[in-house]
Amino acid sequence: MTERESAPKSTGPLRRIPRIHLIALACLLALLLYPVINPWEPYPQGVLLLGFLLAVQASAWNIISGYAGYVSIGHSMFLGLGAYTAGIMAVRWDVNPLLSAPVGGVVATVIAVAIGSVVLRTRGHAFVIITIAMLLAAQIIAVNARGLTLGSDGITLPLPFWGRDYQNIPFYYIFLVMVVLTVAFSAWLRRTKFGAGLVAIREDEGKAASIGVNTTRFKIVAYAASAFPIGVAGSVYAYYLTFINPVGSFAILGSVTIVLACLAGGRGTLYGPVLGAFVVNLVSEAANVYGGGDSARVLLFGLALMVVVLFLPRGLLPTVESWWRRRHPADVEFIDQKGALEARAARSGPDLPSPAVSRAARASDEAGAGRVLLEVRGASKRFGGLRAVDGADLTVRQGTITGLIGPNGSGKTTLFNLVTGGMTADAGEIWFDGRRIDRLRPWVRGHLGLGRTYQVTRLFKDMTVQENVVAPQPDARWRTMVAGAVRGHEAERARELLDIVGLARFADEPAGSLSFGQQKLVELAQVLMLEPKLILLDEPAGGVNPSMLGVLTGVIRELNAAGMTFLIVEHNIPLVLELCDPIVVFSRGRPIAEGPPGTIREDPAVMDAYLGEDFRLEPAGPAGPPAGEGVR
Amino acid sequence: MTQLTQAIVLGLLIGGVYALMASGLTLIFGVMNIINIAHGAFLVLIAMVTWWMWRETGIDPIVASVVTTPLMFAFGWVVYTLVISRVRNAPPSMSVLLTFGFAMVIEGVLNVTAGNKFKSAAPSYFEESFRVGGISLPKAQLFGFLAAMAVLAVLYFVLTRTWTGRAIRAATQNPSGAALVGVGASGTAALAFAIGAATTGVGGSILSVLYPFFPASHYDWISRLLGIVVLGGMGSLPGALVGATILGLAETLTATYGSLAWSTLVFYLVIMAVLLFRPHGLFGARLREDAP
Repeated sequence: MTERESAPKSTGPLRRIPRIHLIALACLLALLLYPVINPWEPYPQGVLLLGFLLAVQASAWNIISGYAGYVSIGHSMFLGLGAYTAGIMAVRWDVNPLLSAPVGGVVATVIAVAIGSVVLRTRGHAFVIITIAMLLAAQIIAVNARGLTLGSDGITLPLPFWGRDYQNIPFYYIFLVMVVLTVAFSAWLRRTKFGAGLVAIREDEGKAASIGVNTTRFKIVAYAASAFPIGVAGSVYAYYLTFINPVGSFAILGSVTIVLACLAGGRGTLYGPVLGAFVVNLVSEAANVYGGGDSARVLLFGLALMVVVLFLPRGLLPTVESWWRRRHPADVEFIDQKGALEARAARSGPDLPSPAVSRAARASDEAGAGRVLLEVRGASKRFGGLRAVDGADLTVRQGTITGLIGPNGSGKTTLFNLVTGGMTADAGEIWFDGRRIDRLRPWVRGHLGLGRTYQVTRLFKDMTVQENVVAPQPDARWRTMVAGAVRGHEAERARELLDIVGLARFADEPAGSLSFGQQKLVELAQVLMLEPKLILLDEPAGGVNPSMLGVLTGVIRELNAAGMTFLIVEHNIPLVLELCDPIVVFSRGRPIAEGPPGTIREDPAVMDAYLGEDFRLEPAGPAGPPAGEGVR
Repeated sequence: MTQLTQAIVLGLLIGGVYALMASGLTLIFGVMNIINIAHGAFLVLIAMVTWWMWRETGIDPIVASVVTTPLMFAFGWVVYTLVISRVRNAPPSMSVLLTFGFAMVIEGVLNVTAGNKFKSAAPSYFEESFRVGGISLPKAQLFGFLAAMAVLAVLYFVLTRTWTGRAIRAATQNPSGAALVGVGASGTAALAFAIGAATTGVGGSILSVLYPFFPASHYDWISRLLGIVVLGGMGSLPGALVGATILGLAETLTATYGSLAWSTLVFYLVIMAVLLFRPHGLFGARLREDAP
C-alpha cells in the first residue's frame, strides 16, 4: 500500500525514496514542462487542466471516504459552494475570484462541519444518504435564493485579468499547484495520529472508540478537511468557466466522477485518486468526442462504476502494486514467535520505559495501593428477556491484578463492555478513579485511563503493527491528534512499547500477518499507548500457546510491579489462581464469591456455578482434589 | 381552516404514496443491510413502462400495476442474483456505489430509448376531484393513495402472517440464527430484494400519474425516499410509514403556506432537524456499539 511505502524503511542504512514517489515526481516535472514545450495547444492543456481539477477533488474526497471509509456521494456540492462564493463576491464586491478562493474553501469547510455535526455523530449509513440529499438541497437553494444567487439565470464572472495570449496557461499552473498541495496535505494527514485514527475508524469503529479515538470529532474534521481544497478549487473553477449556474455547479454527475476517480485509482492510497482522476478524465473526454454527449456519459459512468465495484474493488494502483510485488518479491522476515521470545530474553530485567506506565505509576504514588480504582454498583444490562448482567457489584483496587472468573454466559464480557463504554448499562452506576463514568462516551473513558483488550483480538489488520500501536489517543488534545505517527515523540513511544512486548522487529508488518498470540501482545501494547491506570484483559490466555503465554504473564507482572492495575477475565483457572489476587467469581450476571485464590479454590459456591447444582465433590477437605483441576 | 384541512388531507394522501415507495427500500436495507440507490431508478423505469403501456393500449396506469408488479418482482430477483449478491460480503459502501452505478445505467438506457423529456400519464380522471364538504380530493391522488395502502397492507400481511415473511424477518434480526433453523440467508435475501423491487411496480405506476418524470428524476426520488427512511429509522417499516406521513405533510403545508419551490427543501430541513435530536431516526434501534 502506498502509505506504507511512504514510511522510510528502517532496514538498510541508506535513506531511499520509495519508487512511487520518484514516479510521481517525474510525472509532475513532465506536467510542469508541458505548456512550455507545447504552448500553442489549448485543447490538450484544457483536458489536463480538468484532470487536475478532478485530481484535487478525488484526493480530498479520499480523506473522508478513503481513509475514514465514510463514502460521500454528494461531494461536488463543495465545488459548487466554492464557485458560488467566488461568483457572489465577484458580482457584489468586485473581488477577484483568485483572491476569494480561500473564502470559498472556508465556506465549504463551515458547511461540512455543520452537516457533519448532525450526521456523523452516529455510525453507519445516514451519512452517505445525507450527502446526496444535501447536494440536491444546495441545488434547490441556488435556484430559489434569487436575491443571492440570481437563480437559474446563473452568475457571469469577470474575464481573467491576463491577456488572451496567455490562454488558460495560468489556470493550468494554478490547478497543478493545487493538486500538489492537496496531495501533500493528504500525505501529511495520513502520517499523523489523526490519519492513523481515521484508518482505525474505517477498519473497526467500535474498537477505535475504545482506544480513545473521539470518532465523532475525527470524522467531522476529516469531512471538513476534505471539503476545504474542493471549495478553493471551486472558486478558481468558476473564474475559469466565467459562468456558473445551479445545475452545472451542483451536479450529481460531478460527484460520480469524483467517486469513480478515487475508486478506480485506489481508495485510501495517496496517489490512487490522482491516477484515477486522469484515467476517468480521459475516458470522459473520449466519450465526449466519440459518443453522444451527456446521456451517453451517464450510461458510461454508471457502467464504469459497476465494473469497478464488481471487478476492481481495490483500484488500479493497489492492484498494480501487488502484481509488482508478486513479480519482485521482497525479503520478508519469517514470522514466528521466536523473534519475540528472543527479543524479550535479550532485554535486561524489569526496567520498563517510563512512558508505558507513567500515569498508572503516578496514580499509585499519589494515592497509594489499595485505594478503590473501579467501582461498579448494581449494574444491570438486559438483552430482551436475558439479564446478562444483573445488579452486579465489583470493586477493583489500585495496584491489584483482580481476576474475574465464571462460566460462559455469566456476563463477564458484558460487564467489560459496560465499564469501557461499548454498551450502556440499563441501571446502576460505574465509578472510576473518583468519577462517575457510566454515561461517558467510550473515548472519554479511555482518556481517563481505562484500557481494554478483546477476547478475539480486534487489531486493525490492514494497518502495520507500528500504526496499530500509535493510533490510540491518550487525551483529547488537538496537539496529540496532529502528532506524527511515523516519526516524532508518539512514534518513539509506540516503538518503546513494542519493545516491552518484544515485537519491535515486526513494526512494519501488517498486523493481520502476526500469529494470534503475537496479536494479543500487540493489542496490549496498543492499550499501553493510552497510558491507562487500569487495563481490562478479556481472556488474555485464550488461544495462546504456552511459551507465548509465559511472555504475556511476564509482561503483566512487570507492569503490575510498576504500578499498573489489571482486571482479567480468564477461563484458565490455574493461571488465574497463580496470577490474580483477589479473584471474583461471576455467575448469572452477578458476583457470587470474592477473595484471595486460596479461599476461592475451596469455595463450594464456585463449584456449583461451574459444574451445576447437582455436582458435588466430596466435602472439601485436605484429601479432596484441588478445584482447579476439576474445572479444566 | 378549510385551506389547512385541505393541505393536511393532501399531505396524508401524498404521505401514503411515499410510504409505499419507501417501504421496499427500508425492507431491503433491513434484511440485507444494502442501501439500494437504484430504488428511485426502478420507480422511474416503471413509470416509463406504465406511461408507454397507457399510451399504447390506454390501460389505466394504476391498474397497470397488476402487470408491472410481477415484472419488477422478477426483475428484482434477477438483479439480485446476477449483480447485488456479488457484494453481499463487501463493505456496505460498495453496495451503495454498485447500486448507484446501476441507477445511472437505468437512467442512461432510458435517456437513449425514451428521450430526455418530461412525461406524465394522464388518464381520463386526471384532473377530476371528489368534493367532500369543502375539501376537494383529487381522484388521481386518492386512487394512488388507496392502491398504496392496499399494497402496504398486503406487504404487512405477508411479512407477519406467512412463513415467507417470518423467514424474512428472522433473517433481518439474526441471519446466523435463521440459518440454523433452515432459513437460508441468500434465498431470503433474493426474495426480500424481489419483494422490495416489486413495491416499485405499484409505486412507479402511481408516480406516472401523480408526477411528471424524466430519466434523471430518479435522483429527486431516491433522495426523498432515503430521507424518509433515515427519518423513520433505517430498516423500520412503521418508521417509513410515519416518516413518509410527516414529510408528506411538511411538503404540502409548505407548498400551501410558503412556496412550492421551497417545499422540497423543507423536506431536507425536517430530516436534519430530526437527526439533530434523534441521531438514529424516529424508530431506529440503537445498534450494539461493540458489534464488530
